[in-house]
Amino acid sequence: MGKKKFIDKKKSATFQLLARDSSDPNYSDSPGSDRVFVRVDNNPVSFDTVFDEDNNCYNDCQYDNEDSIFADAPNDNGDSGDDYDRVLGSSSHMVVNDKGALPENVRKEILELGFPDDGYNYLIHLREIRNTGGGSAFYHNPKFKPDQLPHDVKAYDASRVQISNSKGNYNEKSIYSVASNTLNARMNKVFDPEVAALLDDSDLLRFGSDVEDLEEDFVVRANTGEEGEGDESGKKLNFVEEFEFIDASVKNADTKSGNQEIANEVRNYQGEEKPRSRRLLDEQFDILELKEYGSDDDDDDCEGYMAEEEEFLADNLKNVLNENDMDDLEHDDVYKAPADLLHGSKSPKSKELTADIMRRCAEYAENYENESEDEKVMVVQESSDESEQFDCESIISTYSTLDNHPGKIEAPGVTRKKKLAETVSGALSAKSQVISLRGKEKLPLDFLPNSRKAAAEKVKIACSIIPEQHKRKQHGQETKEEKKERKLAIKKERSEARKMKKAMKELYRSETQQAQKVAAISGPSAIRLM
Amino acid sequence: MTYAPMKPTKPGYEEPHEQIRKIRITLCSKNVKNLEKVCSDLIQAAKAKAIRVKGPVRIPTKVLRITRKAPCGEGTNTWDIYELRIHKRLIDLYSTPDVVKQVTSITMEPGVQVEVTIVDV
Repeated sequence: MGKKKFIDKKKSATFQLLARDSSDPNYSDSPGSDRVFVRVDNNPVSFDTVFDEDNNCYNDCQYDNEDSIFADAPNDNGDSGDDYDRVLGSSSHMVVNDKGALPENVRKEILELGFPDDGYNYLIHLREIRNTGGGSAFYHNPKFKPDQLPHDVKAYDASRVQISNSKGNYNEKSIYSVASNTLNARMNKVFDPEVAALLDDSDLLRFGSDVEDLEEDFVVRANTGEEGEGDESGKKLNFVEEFEFIDASVKNADTKSGNQEIANEVRNYQGEEKPRSRRLLDEQFDILELKEYGSDDDDDDCEGYMAEEEEFLADNLKNVLNENDMDDLEHDDVYKAPADLLHGSKSPKSKELTADIMRRCAEYAENYENESEDEKVMVVQESSDESEQFDCESIISTYSTLDNHPGKIEAPGVTRKKKLAETVSGALSAKSQVISLRGKEKLPLDFLPNSRKAAAEKVKIACSIIPEQHKRKQHGQETKEEKKERKLAIKKERSEARKMKKAMKELYRSETQQAQKVAAISGPSAIRLM
Repeated sequence: MTYAPMKPTKPGYEEPHEQIRKIRITLCSKNVKNLEKVCSDLIQAAKAKAIRVKGPVRIPTKVLRITRKAPCGEGTNTWDIYELRIHKRLIDLYSTPDVVKQVTSITMEPGVQVEVTIVDV
């Protein structure tokens, strides 16, 4: 056809009309300035003045870049009134133009965010904060102040970290290797400048104490300061300048340290860190390392400075410890009484002390001697006279709850108790001292409440049997009436006996039930009474 | 000729950004009514500015269809069809970008997407 195109899209700049961000200073509600033209193409056409109101960043917008991974995603700015956050700012679909270097703006942005500049595009792991669409929403927390970190947090600017190849001449497990290979850069505005000054101040070593090779009473010595300084002036480390000090420690580490690797590391650490100025922290670290892993002899100790609190503490300790002078109390394996100490010691304080001890001993002894007669400590217990007598309450309470059952504490219960009392008294007044157990259930018959009756009846029966035997002897001369009487009497006996038997049986049964109940609570379960 | 402004024959008299260029305004939308309204507004404004306008070219509307099985019923004819119609209009102008800015600063209907393409001459 050969129709001439009106517009060659590849040689033209394309702009989209979008809603202006309401936080934009140029925003106003009039139809003229609530929308803005945003360039959406990437053609190498420069339109600096076209639609370019006040900022050039429109030209940087790579929104429809065909190389972007989001190129085939649907365009979602359909409503020009609905897009709020997409007008300005760099897009997250950054493109690496060359295989090697990142584009300048990408690098700039990476550095701005604090990532190291090592050729890796960290932005691909970042998501632009937009509150459109699903997923998490960004909440601007007004309480978060990234400039003011809490005091126990240190922030380091990672953009200066050189993650270089680690050198292989150290032990893999050593923790020093990691520390030695990184440079710590300081971030501004994070530190309190005073704190930073303090940390950097190497003159803080002037607070260091001069104690090394701690003896047993190092605390005392440290606080008194008399003996310590006198004895150890020869051994002590006087305050040395930083590098000499460290070199000495390194030499010590070399010659005396058993751990050659650590020494190597120290040297490496030294060698690598020479360009970086040494700080108090580094020295302390070295000391700690040598102390922990080096030898135990004359290493140079340089303890940190004492804070004010420690000074107060030292004073307090001094005061306390001076009262108890340890040296005088050493016995040298000889038993010494306080009196010996008193005569043997020289310092007045200890004399007072031992004198006091002796006095107190004497006092205690006297108290011990004299305590028997006079000063008895009486522990008075309340004992009322009422409790000596029995009342109905107390009588009831001597029985177990089985007997104190409300169902039983009634008239029949009272009679039972009375009967029990009678039978007990009766049986106790009996002849033998052995409680005889009779019957099938082996019950103490004499103690049963109905036993008197039974005993009386037995006696009667025994009595009645005798005249019968007496009459039988007249065998030949018995008349019919006598025979009848005899027979009747025998029948009567038998019927009586039957009745008795039945009564006894009932009695036994009830008694065994009672005994069973008692035994169930008190006695072992192996005994079965019924 | 008539009223339509021509390209200036003396380009030197004008500053670069005042140069009359070919400008194509593309309007896309899902609903026709708003689109047509915006179109007509634009053309009216452009004509009022006395610039050469080539009237709304209606690109064939694209219908995006999705077919799914209807949730109720069985058989062959139980399908649901959902469609989305995209309408596109083109307006070509010959004018300077400033004028175009003014022209486009009309009240916009919701749902209408406006793209402006300028040829660099």
